[in-house]
Order: sequence, then C-alpha cells, then structure tokens
Amino acid sequence: MDFFLQIFTNGILTGFVYALMALAIVIIYKSSSIFNFAHGSLVGLCTFFVWQMVVGWGLPLYVAFFFELAVIAALAYTLQQLVLKPLTGQPLMAAIMATIALGELLSGIVVLFWPGPGRVLPVWIKLSILKFGPVVISSESLTNFIVCAICFAVFLLFFQKTRLGLAMRGTAEDHTLAQSEGVKVDLIFVVSWFVAILVAAIGGVLMSSLYGVSYESLHALGMKALAVVILGGMESILGALIGGLIIGVVESLGSGYLDPLVGGGFSEVAPYIVLLIVLIFRPYGLFGYKRIERV
Amino acid sequence: MYKKPCGVFDETYEQDSALVRTGYRWLMLVLLLACLFGVLPLFAGNYFMDAMINIAIMVIAALGLQIIIGFTGQVSLGHAAFMAVGAYTSAMLSTHLGMSFWIAMPLAALFAGLLGILIAMPALRIRGFYVAVTTLAAHYIIMWLILHGGNLTKGVSGMTAGEIRIGSFAFDNELKFYYLAMLFAATAVFLTSNMMRTKIGRAMIAVRDNDLAAEFMGINVFKTKVTAFFLSSLYAGVAGSLLAHYQGIITVDQFTLMDSIWMLAMLIIGGATITGAIMGVVFLKILQQVVLFGAPMIGHVFPIFAGSAVAAFMQIFFGAVIILFLIFEPRGLFHRWQITLSTFRLWPFPY
Repeated sequence: MDFFLQIFTNGILTGFVYALMALAIVIIYKSSSIFNFAHGSLVGLCTFFVWQMVVGWGLPLYVAFFFELAVIAALAYTLQQLVLKPLTGQPLMAAIMATIALGELLSGIVVLFWPGPGRVLPVWIKLSILKFGPVVISSESLTNFIVCAICFAVFLLFFQKTRLGLAMRGTAEDHTLAQSEGVKVDLIFVVSWFVAILVAAIGGVLMSSLYGVSYESLHALGMKALAVVILGGMESILGALIGGLIIGVVESLGSGYLDPLVGGGFSEVAPYIVLLIVLIFRPYGLFGYKRIERV
Repeated sequence: MYKKPCGVFDETYEQDSALVRTGYRWLMLVLLLACLFGVLPLFAGNYFMDAMINIAIMVIAALGLQIIIGFTGQVSLGHAAFMAVGAYTSAMLSTHLGMSFWIAMPLAALFAGLLGILIAMPALRIRGFYVAVTTLAAHYIIMWLILHGGNLTKGVSGMTAGEIRIGSFAFDNELKFYYLAMLFAATAVFLTSNMMRTKIGRAMIAVRDNDLAAEFMGINVFKTKVTAFFLSSLYAGVAGSLLAHYQGIITVDQFTLMDSIWMLAMLIIGGATITGAIMGVVFLKILQQVVLFGAPMIGHVFPIFAGSAVAAFMQIFFGAVIILFLIFEPRGLFHRWQITLSTFRLWPFPY
C-alpha cells in the first residue's frame, strides 16, 4: 500500500506537467483550429535556449527571463505570420503537415546548435523534502507541482477576467464574429502562440530538473502531451488537466507494477494504450465537443 | 482523373474503360518501361541501383499511404510501424521457420493488414486529428512490442532475413533485386490505379469528400474505412518485407516516426494522386542525396556545425521544403506538371 501511494503521488505530480503541456496545445487549438504537432520540438528548443543563456553565456536569471520572453514573442510572430497564416482554410492534411514540418525544422535547429548528449540546468529553487506518512515527495517534484498549479491558476484567471483572455475565448467561438466585434483576430493568434510557447518553455525547464536537458526526453514530453489532449478532448481545458493526471498516474503505475514484469519501458507506451481504449468508448475524448454536422 | 485531349472520343465500352487511353500514352508507357527495365540497368552502377531499389520500395509504401490519406482522407502517422510489422513478420518467418520469401511475404502483408484493421476499429467514430493521434499511439505501441519481443524479434540487435530465391536462382546483387523491386512497384501502381475505378475505390473518395453524405448515399462508411486501412497496411507490409529481404538485416531504427513523416511528405510534395506519390518519392530521394553530399561541405565552411551537420540539415531542409510546398504549391508537383503539359498542348494560345 505504501508503494502504491508513493507511485500514485509521483504520477499525480508528473501529471501536472503533462497537463500544463496539454494546456498549451489546447490554447492554440481553441483559438486557431491548428493542432500543434510541433509542441515537442518547441519544448526542446526553448529549454535549450534557456540553457544557452544561463549556462552557455552566463547571463543573470532576470536578464535571461526577459530575453527568453522577447525570443518567444519573435518566434510566435514569425510562426504565425510566415507559416500558419498562409495556410488558413487549407484541408486537414495541410494543417497537420505544417506543424509536423515545423517540428522537424525546429528539431533540426536544436540538433545543429546543441549536438551531442544532454545538458544540466542549475537548481534555482531548493525546497525541503516533504513527508506525508509513508509518501516522500522530492524537492524537484514539489517545485514542478507548485509552478504548474500557479500557471494553471494564472491562465484560468487570464481567460476569465482579462480583456485579452475574453477576446481569445471569443475568437475560439467564431473568427468572423469576433472580428466584427472589433477583436484583432490576427493578434489573438500571435498571442495564443506566444502563450503556448511560453508554457512549453516553462514545462521544459521543469522537466529538465528531473531528467536534465536532453532533446529526446523533452521531445517525448511534447508528444505525450498530444495523447493527453486527445484523451481529455481537444477543446477542453478541464480535459487537459484530467487527461494529464490520468496519463501521469497510468505511466507511474505502469513503471511501478508492470515494468518489472514485461521489461523496461512499458510505462512509455501505457498512456497510448489507455488512449486507444478510451477513444473506442468516447470518440471525442473525455470532455471534447461532439461534432454535429449538416450535409 | 485523366482528361483526354480535344478531339479524342471513346467509341466502344472497351475504350471507355481502358486504363491507358490514347496511342501516345501507350507509346510513353512502353518507353518508360523500356527505360526502367532495359536501358537504365545497362549504364547504372551499384550505388544508383541501390537508390532505385529504395525508390521502388518506397513507391509501394507511399501508394499504401496514398490509399488511406489521398483517397480515404484519414491522416495516418503510423505507416512506418506497419512497414516494420511487414518487415519483421517476413524476417521472423524466414529466419525462425525457414520459409521462402514467396510464402513469408504474403503472410507478412496479410498480418500487417489485419493489424491495420485492429487499429482502424476506433476509426468508425473518430475523425480528423483524433485519427492522426490514434495512429501515432499505434506507432509507439507497435514499435515497443517489436523492441521488447525478446528472442522472437531480437530487440535492438536487429533481425536477419534470408535472400530471395526461385529454385537455385538467388536475387543476391543490386541488379537482380532491382528487377524484382521494380516489378513489384509497377504491379502496385497498376493495381492501385485500377482499384480506384472500382466500387470500393469510389466509395473511399466519397468518404474522403464527406463521410456523412457518403453514408446517406448508401455507402458503408465503416467498411470503407476498414478496407482502406487494411489495404494501406497491406502495401506497407509488402514494402517492409521487400526492404527486409533486400537489406538482409533490419533494426527498429529504420522505422521511426520520422519515416512515417517522410512518407507523408512524399504525398504533400508530389500531390495526392498516384503519379504524384511517385514524383514525391523521387523528389525526396534526390533531396536526401543532395543533403548527404552537401551537408559535409557546410560543415567544412562552418566547423562548429561539423558534428551533426548531416542529420541536422536533413531535418531543416526537409521541414523547410514541406512548408514551402504547403504554402506555394499545396497541390504538389503533379499539379504543376499538368499545368506545364497543358500549356505546351495549347501553345501558342493562353487557354
């Protein structure tokens, strides 16, 4: 039982990072109907850039933070204006391939500038190790959990209370209608990409505290977020949270109980098996909108 | 659909249903086949033959993807995994049971096809991005199973496959295998173009254009989607089996997600038709060769990039080419080719 509680808690804590990653994809999908397959590469690129600034160039933390924000803004603007804007209204295949190709391009850039094995980021926040009875929570996991919870809360407030957040929700409902009400839809797309890439950077840095800055694990994190989004339903922020927790727990339980039985790495595919089973019974994910269509 | 030039009419039913419509097209087809099977092998070295064999195998795989994406409209990201299933099944049958290629290959293709049906099961109710991510999930699951198959699949060390022989005649060098691969590719092209004119082919196109409307027209959407997935995986299985027996040894590294994406890119670049798929395969193969030779030179000029130049520039060029095609020529090379042809046909008039 102690063992179960321990890995269950670990799963929940990791699940929050997945949920945050999924949130980034949901934000883009809701505003511009593009399902971002490039998320894994974006996570990798942003995290390596943080490493480059902090360790490679030795910039102070606050300078690096503002520099990163500027770079993300520039990246979001370039992506939206150069790549995605010309593709509005194209068929599904084009929308999928555009972000996949973008992912390839970005991951090529990462491999070009930061080749070889992974890097290590310095530890910024050092919390004490928590103990709840038999359950031990490491400092890194606790930091991840707190940062993710804060991010979720901030984004919920942002969408509920601020003018920009409301405009983004309006754009998600109907582009034309939002535009006729005076919302600059173009700007909203750029902002949603900015938010998404920012979230990718946060998640990448958080995961790096656990596994180091390695491109494979960061990319895998982004790919797993795709499964989380589909599991939760593509339109739902709540779905991203629940989906992230489910995938986190399944992965953790899988690595605790099944990996010793069937050989290592089963925890990597367990989330995908859960995804396939859920899709058979709930084809729009757990909280996705049902498609109602007229011919 | 092939448009006949002005003034060519069908006078009999045989003419109306012919695959090759005009004498000029017959001439071109015969010339092309003569070139591929007769002239080319006379002059080409082993390196070029190897490239041509890879192209032939990829054409078969790309046609399978064309059936599922171009004709049925379901985006699959797991095609390389189905190729892996074909390759590994064929290799296992030939290594563990000592079967000949001619028995192992159909069995492997059939098994890949049946696995395709299993993956397609949720596909009745899901569509769009959900299908793409489902096939992505299938990719990860299949590759994990192969990697952890123990002694059955030999895990990371790779699986050997025996050479193909008929009686005492073995396809043991590039030249001999070239004929075999080209024969398979030509057959696949012929079968696919014929199949698209049958009931099931037209049903697929109807499902692609609008699945609800297709259902109201009396098309069994589930059956059509499942058939499309079956056929697509079957083609992938044949391609994988050929690849396994050509190389003699296969590893899981040859069937990554990246390979699935390459095949998708072939369809984007070529245009979602049968000829387009072939054009896309050839174009990407040329791009690959250019990068293989060009990237080390960039590494020479900028020594900081030397370590990973080939892999990195492959991905960068690849991503950039797809994005450029999507933005500037979303209907692919084949469309451009048709425009060029009709311009020449009508010259000197603009239309």
